[in-house]
Amino acid sequence: MTLFKNPVAKKRWQRFRQSRRGYYSAWILLGLTLCSFGAEMLANNRALLVVHEGKVHFPIYGDVLTGKDFGLDYNYEVNYRELKKSLSNKDGWLIMPPIPFGPLETDLIAGDFPPHAPSVDTRHYLGTDTSGRDVAARLIYGFRTAIVFSLLLLVFNYGAGVAIGCMMGFWGGAFDLIFQRIIEIWSNIPFLYVIMIVASVITPGFWTLLFIMAFFGWTSMTWYMRTATYKEVARDYVMAARALGASGPRIVFRHILPNSVSTLVTFVPFSVASGITSLTALDYLGFGLPPPVSSWGELLKQGTENLEALWLVGSVVVAMTVILMLVAYIGEAIRDAYDPRKFSFYE
Amino acid sequence: MTGYFVRRFLLIIPTFIGITLLVFAITRVVPGGPIERLMTQIQLGGETGSLERSQGGGTLSDEQMEELKRYYGFDKPMLSSYAIWLKKVLQFDLGLSTRYQDPVWQIIKERFPISIYYGLTTLILTYAVCIPLGLAKGMYHGSALDSWSSAVVFLGYALPSYVIGIALISMFAGYWDIFPLGGFISDNYDELTLWGKASDIFSHSVLPLIAYLAGSFAVTTLMMKNSLMDNLSADYMRTATAKGLSRSESVRGHALRNSLIPVATSFGSNISLLLGGSFLIETIFNIDGIGLLGYEAIIERDYPIVMGILVISSLLYLLGNILSDICVALVDPRIRFGERSGS
Repeated sequence: MTLFKNPVAKKRWQRFRQSRRGYYSAWILLGLTLCSFGAEMLANNRALLVVHEGKVHFPIYGDVLTGKDFGLDYNYEVNYRELKKSLSNKDGWLIMPPIPFGPLETDLIAGDFPPHAPSVDTRHYLGTDTSGRDVAARLIYGFRTAIVFSLLLLVFNYGAGVAIGCMMGFWGGAFDLIFQRIIEIWSNIPFLYVIMIVASVITPGFWTLLFIMAFFGWTSMTWYMRTATYKEVARDYVMAARALGASGPRIVFRHILPNSVSTLVTFVPFSVASGITSLTALDYLGFGLPPPVSSWGELLKQGTENLEALWLVGSVVVAMTVILMLVAYIGEAIRDAYDPRKFSFYE
Repeated sequence: MTGYFVRRFLLIIPTFIGITLLVFAITRVVPGGPIERLMTQIQLGGETGSLERSQGGGTLSDEQMEELKRYYGFDKPMLSSYAIWLKKVLQFDLGLSTRYQDPVWQIIKERFPISIYYGLTTLILTYAVCIPLGLAKGMYHGSALDSWSSAVVFLGYALPSYVIGIALISMFAGYWDIFPLGGFISDNYDELTLWGKASDIFSHSVLPLIAYLAGSFAVTTLMMKNSLMDNLSADYMRTATAKGLSRSESVRGHALRNSLIPVATSFGSNISLLLGGSFLIETIFNIDGIGLLGYEAIIERDYPIVMGILVISSLLYLLGNILSDICVALVDPRIRFGERSGS
């Protein structure tokens, strides 16, 4: 990986590490993302580990275990929360995840209508939503959906942007002109509105929504890549490579891309943030992922419809604030690393 | 330079056709268009009262279907019905709403005053707050004012305005009950005195305005601050200091004007906000502006309104972009659009 060995990149990495706030934010965000990939172990109605009559089960990633397996009188999936109460010491023991509820599981408390308020006794630490589903569990699973969605969206958008921008800059001419017009049309489309129109008529799933958003959002990186490629093409080393007889693809992939792509990193945090916010906005408006997928936007919607249940809006707003602040700190640090500003004035 | 702007204005036409054709095609190709909606409405027994239940089993006869299809141009191929639609748009006829059976233009026009009210107030407040704040932050970089306002600015920068709007409405309207829950005016607005009317509008618009402001506030303030700081270390500021101007004099006389240039580039984008509003904020606060109209139209599959709003908002957006460039050219005499490389 010569990309990370050159002295400029090393210096940038040094500067990034020096801005403590951004550096730690990056680690925290990475940690949270990795945690969310193990969401099944954080919030689940299945137990992490069951030891029963000498046998060890890992119900989360194993087969569905019925009540009969544990000597109970029913043939459907065992309720681990009740099993925990009924298991006495001699039969075995089990460990539940920290949040013992699944994201799609409704838990209705007798004598009260959902949404239930947060309570340590019922182990709904952030309460439940209007159909009795645990908010904390949905928040974790919703975060995973949002971050995976926005990372994938980023890959699609940047892939298309880099490819087309690079071709525009490298070939120029008619190809450049045609795509300039296309991009001008694309970037003038009222993004959210058109996505809403499309989503209202085809009720998208995860991948369809991703495709729709990439279809309308790929232009953001093209202008940058086009200018960068134009700049690099005019440089002497490209001419030298041409004189040596290097082919077009070789010049693009060996010379131009490594020299122009690295700056794209400065845009990444902002694209991640905008991916998360636009997915949440679409979910909030009801044009996003179909129910019952856990999503922050859907929780926000329930929260604004039930303003007396403050824990709904509160937990999503706090979660979004934390995540987006982390992302913004990282973005700030990366920008400083690429373009250190030394402030001075005369008096 | 005039030639450049003329060309820019002419380029609006293909861009506009491209956008509308794209969306027009989407609304045509996918199922669940206005005809299907009318049919379900009739099958439900004309629940909304806009259409009478037809005799018989509640389905449309083939003749009626044909008539409806002809009315909405569904009987023709996509491109020719687009041409008919475009011709009507050029004659300022956006068609009839399938939901209200009123002319689309009239429905949109009724919502203009509300959107203009919010747009204009936001515009004025943004510039009235952000430019002085950005100046103060830039001049006293690292002071208490700078670091405290940075926290607020950063919050507004990181959070999208709709999240701020939701947080505000649930705290100040839902929990503490200080401000009303949304809408533009109270139900008893007509009975109020002049003063009562003014304070009624004011109390309804505090929260949405904060949410609107949060969107542009952080960006504009940071832009102002950064460009001022760039200019403060410029050579001409050293010259100004060398000839004996005090710091505030040199900022007022030299740096201020130059640091307004980047702020001017964002001016044009306000025009679409001025009239279009924001769907999310209007939906959250239930403000009867153009954004909410568009949102409801999409849910109700009222495509004439959807297309009408698309026409207006994309035209405004295109004009706003050109306006931005004109502003930049006005503020910065060094910029000559379209005159590079001898063209």
